[in-house]
Amino acid sequence: MTPGPHATALEPALARVLQAGTYLSIGLVAVGSELLISAGGSPLAGGPALSLSRLPADLLALRPEGFLWLGVLGIVLTPALRVVTALLGFWRRGERAMAVVATLILAVVAAGVVSGLLTG
Amino acid sequence: MEVGLLMLAGGIAAGAFGSILGLGGGLLIVPLLTLGFGLPLREAVGVSLVCVIVTSSASAGVYLQRRQANLRLGMVLELFTAAGAVVGGAVAFLIDERLLAALFALLLVYVAVTMLQALRQPAEEPATDDETPPHAHLAGEPRADRGTRQPGITEQDGGLVAGLGGPGYEVERLPAAALGSVGAGIASALLGIGGGLIKVPLMHLVLGVPLRVATATSNLMIGITASASALVYLIRGGIDAYVAGPTAVGVFVGASIGSRLGHRVGQRALRVLFVLVLVYTAIEMARRAAGIA
Repeated sequence: MTPGPHATALEPALARVLQAGTYLSIGLVAVGSELLISAGGSPLAGGPALSLSRLPADLLALRPEGFLWLGVLGIVLTPALRVVTALLGFWRRGERAMAVVATLILAVVAAGVVSGLLTG
Repeated sequence: MEVGLLMLAGGIAAGAFGSILGLGGGLLIVPLLTLGFGLPLREAVGVSLVCVIVTSSASAGVYLQRRQANLRLGMVLELFTAAGAVVGGAVAFLIDERLLAALFALLLVYVAVTMLQALRQPAEEPATDDETPPHAHLAGEPRADRGTRQPGITEQDGGLVAGLGGPGYEVERLPAAALGSVGAGIASALLGIGGGLIKVPLMHLVLGVPLRVATATSNLMIGITASASALVYLIRGGIDAYVAGPTAVGVFVGASIGSRLGHRVGQRALRVLFVLVLVYTAIEMARRAAGIA
């Protein structure tokens, strides 16, 4: 009935992932919003679609869409990163069933991405 | 420039209200963007999901640090909420926006009625302070007699389901909760809400999880649930970064303010005001559903 050797480390590690991911992402979104608003742009004008290949150039050119899209991606992917961290944590602790649960969650998320790509 | 600042301010208000009233931002962001800024409902839902993830991730981090959330139970249930969210995300692009508006109007009416019922409860019996799982009362015996778990005990000690309980409670009727979780995921994806309205009662009433743990665990689950459907919206062009940016920043700031001010604000007057806002919003959504707005 004793906890595994890493029993005390998992929740704080997941909390750090969530908080770091959120603060970093919201920081990027805030920079993008500031660039957009200060340039006199209207959010209702319709922003450009997400293009991963254009993202580095947009960031280097300090275009709002670069920061906004990187921040939005960070926000959306932070919970998945938390699940990946949990998966690794459970695996290290020998909790194989929970590691399988975490893997299945990621598989479901991936299935959503694939279905979106196929039908989008 | 004005629209961007208005969107930021609207996000702050939605985040603060949602945080103070414990409702999350999704319920307010969709009407704000559709009725306030004229966005199509589906696009508003996509942006709302992004905002919901922001508030969920920030608060879930705190709940995990304090060990209030049941990580294992949350992860088992979020497998089902995520599956529902993927299905809901796909369905959202197939059904008419007017049907979505009708569903949202029904949700608003449900929340308004629930809040009115809560207002009628005597002040000395706040529902949210009940730490005891309802099954304990029904069974007429203290749950501690049936054995307790200590935090940190792993699945190796008695199987996966046995490892999902917590100090003073065990988890019951998991299949029913799993089914309900799929429904919560679908609702989240269709309406851009966190789904705590479904998840918290599900965990508390069906599984027998103490209310505070259920609330914290629901917050944890909301992130990956909304993320699963937000990715579908993102890929299918259902999220506009220009709208998501100012709104998400506003909601984040507003939720932070709300969490600090919540205990200082008169809840009763605020809830009455909020019920009125919900009723007005429900009528507007119903008008949209009927094609007269």
